[in-house]
Amino acid sequence: MDLRSARINGPGKKKSVKWFAQIWAMLLFTFVSFLSEAQTVNITGVVLDEEEMGLPGASVQEKGTTNGVVTGLDGDFSISVQSGATLVVSYIGFATQEILVGNRSSITVNMSADVSSLDEVVVVGYGTMRQEAVTGSVASIGGDVMREVPSANISQALQGRLPGVDISQTSSQPGATMQIRIRGNRSLTASNDPLIVLNGIPFAGSIADINPEDIDSIDILKDASATAIYGSRGANGVVLVTTKKGFKGQKAKVSYSGFHGPRTVFSPYPMMDGPEFLAMREAAGLFESPGASESNDVNTDWQGLFYQTGTMSSHDVNVSGGGEKSTYSFGLGYYHDEGVVPTQQFDRISMRAAVDQEIGNHLRIGFNSNSNFNTTQGSQVGSYGILSLSPLASPFNPDGSRRRNISMPMDDVWVGTRDVLNELDGQWLNENRTYATYNALYAELKIPGIEGLKYRANLGLDYRQTNNGEFTARGVNSPNPDTESFAAVGNSHNFHWIMENLITYDRIFADKHIVNVTALYANEQNKFYSSRMWARDIAADQFQFYNLGNSDGEIQINPNDQNYQLWGLSSLMGRVMYSYDDKYMISATLRSDGSSRLAPGYKWHTYPAVSVGWNLGKESFMNNVSQVDMLKLRLGYGQTSNQAIAPYATLGGLGIRPYNFGNDALLTGYFVNSLPNPNLGWEYSETYNVGVDFGLFNNRLTGSLEYYITNTKDILLGVNLPATSGVGSYTANIGETQNKGVELALNGLIFENNDWSWEAGVNIYANRNQLVSLASGQDRDEGNWWFVGHPIDVIFDHQYVGLWQEGDAHRDILEPGGNVGMIKVKYTGDFDDEGVPTRAIGPDDRQILDLQPNFMGGFNTRVAYKNFDLSIIGTFKSGGVLISTLHSSSGYLNLMSGRRNNVSVDYWTPENTEARYPAPGGLASGDNPKYGSTLGYFDASYLKIRTMTLGYNFDNASKWMTKSGMSRLRVYGAVQNPFVLFSPFNRETGLDPETNSFGDQNAAITDAIPSRLLTIGTNSPATRNFIIGLNLTF
Amino acid sequence: MKNIQLYLKSIKVFLLTGLLLVSCTDILEEQPRSIFEPGFFQTEEGIFGGITSMYAHLRYIYGQAYYYNTTLTGTDEATYAQSADQNFLVMDLSGQGDIDPNNSRADALWGAAFSNINTANGIIEFAPEAGVSEALVAEARFFRAFDYFLLVQTFGGVPLDLGSGELAFNIEPSRTSVRNTVPEVYTRGVFPDMLQAIDDLPSVPRLTGTATKTLARLYLAKAYLTYAWWLDNPNNIPTYPETPRQDPDGNSAQWYYQEAYNIAMDAINDPGPFSLQETFYDVNLAQNDRNSELLLYADHTEDSEFYNGGSLVWGNGAAPDNFAGWMMTWNYTVLRSSSSSSEWVGNIESVRREAIQATGRPWTRMAPPIGVITNTFADKTNDSRYDGTFTTVYRANNDRTPLISGPMYNANLMEVQAGDAILTFLDEEPDQAINYPSPSSLGGNIGAGILPGRSDFVISPSGISRIVHPGLWKLGPYRTDSGSGLGEPNAGSTRPFNIAKLSELYFIAAEAAVQGATGSMSARELINVIRARAGVWRWNNNGNEEKIEDNSAEMIAATPAEIDVNYILAERSREYYGEGYRWYDLIRTQKWEELAGTYQIGGMSYSDRTPQTVTRNIQPFHYLRPIPQGQIDAMEGDRAIYQNPGY
Repeated sequence: MDLRSARINGPGKKKSVKWFAQIWAMLLFTFVSFLSEAQTVNITGVVLDEEEMGLPGASVQEKGTTNGVVTGLDGDFSISVQSGATLVVSYIGFATQEILVGNRSSITVNMSADVSSLDEVVVVGYGTMRQEAVTGSVASIGGDVMREVPSANISQALQGRLPGVDISQTSSQPGATMQIRIRGNRSLTASNDPLIVLNGIPFAGSIADINPEDIDSIDILKDASATAIYGSRGANGVVLVTTKKGFKGQKAKVSYSGFHGPRTVFSPYPMMDGPEFLAMREAAGLFESPGASESNDVNTDWQGLFYQTGTMSSHDVNVSGGGEKSTYSFGLGYYHDEGVVPTQQFDRISMRAAVDQEIGNHLRIGFNSNSNFNTTQGSQVGSYGILSLSPLASPFNPDGSRRRNISMPMDDVWVGTRDVLNELDGQWLNENRTYATYNALYAELKIPGIEGLKYRANLGLDYRQTNNGEFTARGVNSPNPDTESFAAVGNSHNFHWIMENLITYDRIFADKHIVNVTALYANEQNKFYSSRMWARDIAADQFQFYNLGNSDGEIQINPNDQNYQLWGLSSLMGRVMYSYDDKYMISATLRSDGSSRLAPGYKWHTYPAVSVGWNLGKESFMNNVSQVDMLKLRLGYGQTSNQAIAPYATLGGLGIRPYNFGNDALLTGYFVNSLPNPNLGWEYSETYNVGVDFGLFNNRLTGSLEYYITNTKDILLGVNLPATSGVGSYTANIGETQNKGVELALNGLIFENNDWSWEAGVNIYANRNQLVSLASGQDRDEGNWWFVGHPIDVIFDHQYVGLWQEGDAHRDILEPGGNVGMIKVKYTGDFDDEGVPTRAIGPDDRQILDLQPNFMGGFNTRVAYKNFDLSIIGTFKSGGVLISTLHSSSGYLNLMSGRRNNVSVDYWTPENTEARYPAPGGLASGDNPKYGSTLGYFDASYLKIRTMTLGYNFDNASKWMTKSGMSRLRVYGAVQNPFVLFSPFNRETGLDPETNSFGDQNAAITDAIPSRLLTIGTNSPATRNFIIGLNLTF
Repeated sequence: MKNIQLYLKSIKVFLLTGLLLVSCTDILEEQPRSIFEPGFFQTEEGIFGGITSMYAHLRYIYGQAYYYNTTLTGTDEATYAQSADQNFLVMDLSGQGDIDPNNSRADALWGAAFSNINTANGIIEFAPEAGVSEALVAEARFFRAFDYFLLVQTFGGVPLDLGSGELAFNIEPSRTSVRNTVPEVYTRGVFPDMLQAIDDLPSVPRLTGTATKTLARLYLAKAYLTYAWWLDNPNNIPTYPETPRQDPDGNSAQWYYQEAYNIAMDAINDPGPFSLQETFYDVNLAQNDRNSELLLYADHTEDSEFYNGGSLVWGNGAAPDNFAGWMMTWNYTVLRSSSSSSEWVGNIESVRREAIQATGRPWTRMAPPIGVITNTFADKTNDSRYDGTFTTVYRANNDRTPLISGPMYNANLMEVQAGDAILTFLDEEPDQAINYPSPSSLGGNIGAGILPGRSDFVISPSGISRIVHPGLWKLGPYRTDSGSGLGEPNAGSTRPFNIAKLSELYFIAAEAAVQGATGSMSARELINVIRARAGVWRWNNNGNEEKIEDNSAEMIAATPAEIDVNYILAERSREYYGEGYRWYDLIRTQKWEELAGTYQIGGMSYSDRTPQTVTRNIQPFHYLRPIPQGQIDAMEGDRAIYQNPGY
């Protein structure tokens, strides 16, 4: 029986059914009910919505029992209850009501739409809680609301939806997942990724393995008082993902949802066209003679010959239902995403099953299983080659045949246009195939004799394997048609198990004292291994990567490509939650974790956490304040850890250096490249959190405001040692960081009458990150760009202040060998008495440039008129620095020399001295303009509409709907990524200002920017998608 | 009901299992299975691996083009070329920016040497227990001394204690460092190990290219010689950390000159399996790599990408690739011929990028000043070394696949065939004036000239510029797997990068003799061994034809009766041009400013062939390279005193 089914029926509202809650509550109530012995009465009634229409499918339940029914087509119900019982009536999107039966035998229940979501149940880890009683910082979103952004995975869907949860794109390729940062970065070299928990089991896979259609709810634990129950893994926040389940007493329900639509390039990369390029090359004066393929009267749009129109489509079928003592739910999904870069695509088939069965009165067992098979293809196709091609080169030879290579003044580049790639069918491949299965089995036993005491065993069994196959036929992607073919296969396997033993005690004493005690003992182990091998000169193209043995060339198994990692975690946890009269709440947690990754003697750490809440709104003195419906203060403190360093990091390691002694001895050399650290222990974070939740004006405006401070100590750091130590690095507990931040979430029903309604929600948050200390006595680590007193993520580079103009003083001193029109950077050295600089600009002039945005957030709004609804979801960011490697030296697309094509920029000429970009052909550092790296820094501000959806819900009371047996039919059209506002980067380049790469990716030079910084590089371009979708329920 | 019973039973089993799993404690223990722990280093196999890695470490120094640049650019052998970036420009010391701790690429040496020294420390420490032979340990001793010798020449005094004590295997994550003085490094870090290595190393290499007695003698002799000069300090060049020019062992400069001479003569008289090649051409011919004259090289192979250390198809210009040869290769691929015999259309890429020793991958970062052609290699007739050093003739390769078909016309619209010269850098200024057509693209697209009756474009010595100049044939690539095609010119060179040659022993002994050492052979006699060999021809490299001549007598006759250091330096340049010796030769003898203070070369664009005279600003502090910024950044403590003065 379903206790709480207050669900959300549309955008802007959060859903509340959490199946964990049901399980827990149900057990409790069954226990209670079978202790009581009283006479029963029969009650009939009807549940009506605000328009006095019957609400079919609403849940009517006898409070404190598992006894319940679901209303019929007209909202009617009939139930036998004990006399004096209370009925709990709930329905998706309506406020749950409790009705005292009294002496009545017939009851009419008028439901009103639930705007406040205050009665939601949230998953808090090892259990659920009513939102009202939550004392930690938890952000929740229902599956339906999340799916308003149709996407390949939940990280995409969640972007900008929740305060304090910063989700950034790290790749724009089909199926790519995003980086999730909860309340900033804490760690320097260890992971800052949050812990993901799928159906109660710590998740050992990729977020791409979870089908968003399967999601029932997502709850994110943000502060340590909430995450301390995950102890050593809670420091980066916890994302609790719950997949769909069936309802008790629910008739089998079959639903389909799907969407389909094209993907188009949001904006091509801003490369120069023929005349522009020619003018720039001439201004540079470095390449007087064109390349053999070039001609000054040609103007080729290479990107136009490259991109294709992609498609996105998704199809999901779900079946769910329940009997008296069991529930079930099954789902089958297919997702297909084809990119705009030819051959890039992602496909996923997912299956889900959840079954729950009660056995007798004391025992309940069940499982849920989520499995998927997915393939990613085409990641070998990059864009740099095409972008760098000279627009002065025609794709065709004078005789009309297609050019294999383009010869530019210094470079011969293989041409991989769309047509070429399509013709290469089967000759240039990169395929990743992943199979993953995530399973949670549980059994729950009510201990007879002690009311409210339960034992539960959870067993998580997960397996994930990935196969990678690559094949590049002879001459493909090489200017030399004879370059040997190449094939590789890679495999990885991950086995994960966890065994949790939980004892819980739930009691309500004297109606006002609610006590919940949880104790846990758990063991967990994860084994990962991977291997890869490759071969050259495959005997025939037909073999692709399926038979590396048929190779006439080198076959290699590189020791650096083989990997084995086994780690274990042992945990003890206890938690007490107590609330008095729903006014005063306290929650206290203690967890001890032991990890295999740390050094003996330092493996265990204990994490305390405590939080309190005060529901001011329930105090009598607030009764007169009619505008305030709810007001709660929360205060929390907790300690959590980060064990996310690689296994074996305490042991040190040897590097590998292969060498050939002539042609007769091929040997592998070893040298010590990292030192052991027998003292390596935990890095831990202390968080203080204060929050206020409120509901105003009849709960038409609800929201919460939070402030937090997180201090992270004993940071696990791969310390780079100076070369003179003879060793590259070692891992140590060094340093301290701090994050402080404010988060605000507001939801409002702005307007509502019979036909119209308008709702809006917004979240804004700001995080201030600071590196408090590094190793003793060290206040800067220039090699890693870490500086005490600054955020972890900074740029350490010269500061662009303009261009050197004719007549500017002291250029000869500051920039020996420089030229007019070159980049001018800040000089911080001394001046002599005459005001003349005393030295040339050099490394001492580098500045620390803060990347942090001032604030960021997201918004959503929904306007409904009769059966139509229009919703808009967007994100925004103010301030901060966006790094574009397209424009900086590391991308090799802004050489300003005319050697290869160049991003279209406004550059200095004697006639155009106010330009931002330097004179072509000026002083170079490497192949780039000196200080060219400073050209890649842009204001990161933007406001972006992510999705605009126009939907129509067919009237489910209409005859044809009833006849066809459909209970819901919705069609919608959506545009994703329609436009960007307030973005200086977008204004200059036309590009999407969202990052698409890690700092070491999609650039020609991959060590110029630390990989932790996200950049815009030459990844697949951002897309604008047009979608038509259908939701259907029988 | 029966089913329920069954259910209950299975549930009980399930729960019991859960409780049992609870008792696992070994899940907190670690056993790596895909990586080595440092402890492996103390086993016999680990020590063998350590020794292999010492040879592999050479690849991070030799063939690494940025380091290569620091050894040549700014000397009389090289200046920056048209595509030079800051790393090359500043090294020229000609007003194109100052050398600083960031742009000085001697960091390649700094970054590779200490880790290797530590590996050597470990091997020397752990070998006795692991039961490794003295001969093998001697290889580690050789490399420790080798690295310290390189470091002390380049940076001045460097630390002997990496954190766990002097010359001890470091297990301390030390972020501090104290520099020893130059005499401390020589007398404690170089000489003892090298002496021991001479005793313990075999005469015949253990494997192709491994260390031998002869190699250790070469380096000890060179170290003695270099240290003797340092003690001498004829031009009062400063050292750092500051220290008196006194030998802690109480020996004089003269004593060290004599020892250098003696040790070199030991090796000359007992070279083991090593011998001089018959011709200079053969020393550097790719087909003859790893020949009997070569004592040490950073090896590479085209047989295995893994053991080669770099891609066999595309190099990115980073160690461990051997890409030094790209630097002095100008962009010859710009050369064009015409498909029409009646008018110049310049539409045929007659010299495409090819993986052969004469061409390779053009980076146009470094160029020889005109003086190299006119002074250093003044004699191009008797002396085979100019021909065996440079590519002066660029030949059509239109017959390589993909074929370029149809007739091809070149200078004077004369027809040329595959293999014919398209461009020739003339040995001398021609008697007849060269006709430079206008616009410059008519000169083979590169502003070259035309002489009557010649189908190849020509450039005379005075016409070489930063954009068009003879290429460095010595370091050109060579592949056996190119078939009928152009091969893989974009990969790093799969040839070994030569580091030490038997011939240098003659130069070391001769230089010591010039500085006062005496013995069985005079400086002139020693130098004449080299010069006589240079006079022997068997192949005209740039003429691409057999040439059997022995001009030894003429070469010896041309040797001055009294030779001085300058003559030895000039002879060294003829022998080792472009191999990375020059800066060390000039700073050792303190002749840098004198010999490289000015140079001449044409400009940056194709039509700009007027020689310009450039003056360099070589200061005494430039005799030491700056300590790399990465070292300073990673250190704690007083970092200012760590840096060499002037930077």
